[in-house]
Amino acid sequence: MKTLEELRKIREKAQNEMKLRESNYRFKVVVGMGTSGIATGAREVMKAILDEIAARNLTGIIVTQTGEKGLSSMEPVVDVIENDKPAVTYGNIDPEKARRIVAEHLVNNRIVQDYLVTTTS
Amino acid sequence: MQDISLHLLDIIENSVRAKARNIWIIITILEPENLLRIIIKDDGFGMDNETLQAAQDPFYTSKTERLKKVGLGIPLFKENAERCAGSFKIESVVSKGTVLTAEFAYDHIDRMPLGMISDTILTAVLGHEQIDLHLKLQHCKIDGSCLDFKFSTELVKKELGDIPLSYPDVITFLDEMLKEGIKNTEMEEN
Repeated sequence: MKTLEELRKIREKAQNEMKLRESNYRFKVVVGMGTSGIATGAREVMKAILDEIAARNLTGIIVTQTGEKGLSSMEPVVDVIENDKPAVTYGNIDPEKARRIVAEHLVNNRIVQDYLVTTTS
Repeated sequence: MQDISLHLLDIIENSVRAKARNIWIIITILEPENLLRIIIKDDGFGMDNETLQAAQDPFYTSKTERLKKVGLGIPLFKENAERCAGSFKIESVVSKGTVLTAEFAYDHIDRMPLGMISDTILTAVLGHEQIDLHLKLQHCKIDGSCLDFKFSTELVKKELGDIPLSYPDVITFLDEMLKEGIKNTEMEEN
């Protein structure tokens, strides 16, 4: 059974790691979670991103969600924002594509041209 | 929407847009009464009577920006509940919050599956770190015995201090904790 005790250990481990890093986060990932996003699989996309972050032990990434963006025909939509650079928007994303975005964009810092919608926010 | 957990996520997003600080989700299965009840309560800015009526109309949306002209989230959920010999109700008080209650006949042939409640809670919790989410599940069997699971981000955040929920080990921890807890209530997850 999972207990809150475990969180205390995770906290200690995380605090030690945080000391080594300067900024709080480097990438912000925003998943469009409006009605049409959810209906086309946005939750599964977000879950895939979270699973990848956990499996690859990536820190410095925050994953958040937002409502409709007026891009309903391209849902599920994922934005990747690196510090203060303009947002990179990916469209028609599924869990597999989401994993590729994590591997290529968040890990190797290479924009995945195949899924790109626009680079202006 | 394919299942109840997706409707749930959609309704949670409404509460987030209403600037809720806390969201309470109570899912109850009472087999002796053949009842599945979902309650979503928030302390957001609420709706007046007119908006409340309009929210159940598919051609209404609170969003004024962009090109969006329809809001199907609430009407779809309502239709799904009512189709299953159930009921649907929203009560709201301006600047206090909103309570949505959906009831389904538990064994109704048209009732959607519950779906992955754990994934809905995990994504909602991670996606909105500023909000506290409180989940309460209760499954009462035909013999009268009940299985419970409670989860609150308040306690988790207290333990974590300034460590973000999106820290890898925390994601895994929350995922496992939710899956385990829901499994122990013997609620379906699929």
